[in-house]
Amino acid sequence: MTIRVLNPTSEANPQEIKPAVRLTTLRGKTVGFISNGKEGTAGFFAHLDRLLRERYEVANVVLHMKSNYSAPAEQSIIDEVKNWDLAITGLGD
Amino acid sequence: MNKLSKYYELSASADVQEFYHSRGWTDGFPIVPPTPDAVAACLDWVNMSADELIGIEPVRERPVIAEKLAINAVMAGCLPVHFPAVVTAWSAMLKPEFLLHGATASTGGCAILVILNGPVRKEIAARSDFNVLGSSDRATSVIGRAIRLALINLLEVSPGAIDRSTLGHPGKISYCIAEDEEGTQWQSVAETRDIPGDVSAVTVFAAGAPRQIMNEWTTKPEEILDTYAAEMRANMRNYSIWSGNYVVVIPKQHRDHLQSAGWSKSDVAEYLYRTARIKRGEWSSVGKGSVVRGKGDLEYTALPSPDHLLVVAAGGPAGGFGVIIPPWLGTKSLAVTVAIGACVDCAPPGNA
Repeated sequence: MTIRVLNPTSEANPQEIKPAVRLTTLRGKTVGFISNGKEGTAGFFAHLDRLLRERYEVANVVLHMKSNYSAPAEQSIIDEVKNWDLAITGLGD
Repeated sequence: MNKLSKYYELSASADVQEFYHSRGWTDGFPIVPPTPDAVAACLDWVNMSADELIGIEPVRERPVIAEKLAINAVMAGCLPVHFPAVVTAWSAMLKPEFLLHGATASTGGCAILVILNGPVRKEIAARSDFNVLGSSDRATSVIGRAIRLALINLLEVSPGAIDRSTLGHPGKISYCIAEDEEGTQWQSVAETRDIPGDVSAVTVFAAGAPRQIMNEWTTKPEEILDTYAAEMRANMRNYSIWSGNYVVVIPKQHRDHLQSAGWSKSDVAEYLYRTARIKRGEWSSVGKGSVVRGKGDLEYTALPSPDHLLVVAAGGPAGGFGVIIPPWLGTKSLAVTVAIGACVDCAPPGNA
């Protein structure tokens, strides 16, 4: 005797996301940080800022901080991403 | 017959268990096989079609439909009569102000507390007395479990996947209580949140673990509530200082003293709003002095306002105990109350 049972998962096909074109160099580029704003991010992003400028000759580093570290970034931040060559979003606890 | 979900033909009950466990579709406990008939019975009870949209998780934009909730509810052990509470809890959880994604993904490890009010409690034979925060009865156990199983299966809220909790707590297995409305003169939680008393309702709250207190040595309302306030202050010092919704569960012994003195739920809330406060400088006494930063005299309240307190009348008849249940993360997630739309007092289809 067999029993018929149903799949409990959403069975949704995840939307395919096309990755951005990879950069071949960071020299002269603009890098944006989206920080979750937690305590540990201040030191982390400050260090990363120095590293990118000094070691990789990045031209500009832009830091944005979310107002709620457990929610998505505000639309105003997302709107600015198009002005960056590279975005780094980091979690810091 | 279901129209949407993929199905499997398995040969025996043991096969079903291993099939579901091996795919990560359970919480580790055995499940009730979600057969098409059992799922259809849940959907019939709430008069919903299989593809009816319950809501969309706003961050990842994931739709939640009735059939999928019903499958997980059956797996959790729900009968059709339990299903309206599950549907309503999910519709509340999917409101933007609940911030479901953050609450279920956070390292903070909260669980979703479900509070039941109104006639539905009797319909499903939920208990509100002994062991109310444990496995007090079938209904609350399976409703709470259904919330978690659906999170696992519909939103990938499994440990290490979306669920990044450092510790979590046992409420993640099941965290559902029914208020003892017959054992109190107070308004129910739902009534204090603008739901008429004769309407069934579900309140959801992104909740930390319960913190139990004891004070059996006074009958004065202020002294009883000072113990609750002390535990709220301890939570602010040791866990999170941010104000938000708090739940206090007040069993009968304390409740009788408060009610005899003429205290209402709003009196309790007002008192705890005034007394559950700490100065930022108190962080120094619990090893967090490095973040006081010269603002030691700044005062923080546990509650942004008295109406952020949810006072629940529940618990066994004897014992000077009580519980505070802190919020996951201040006001980032707010408690949400939604009336149950389905007629839970109606006879199931076909029996009319």
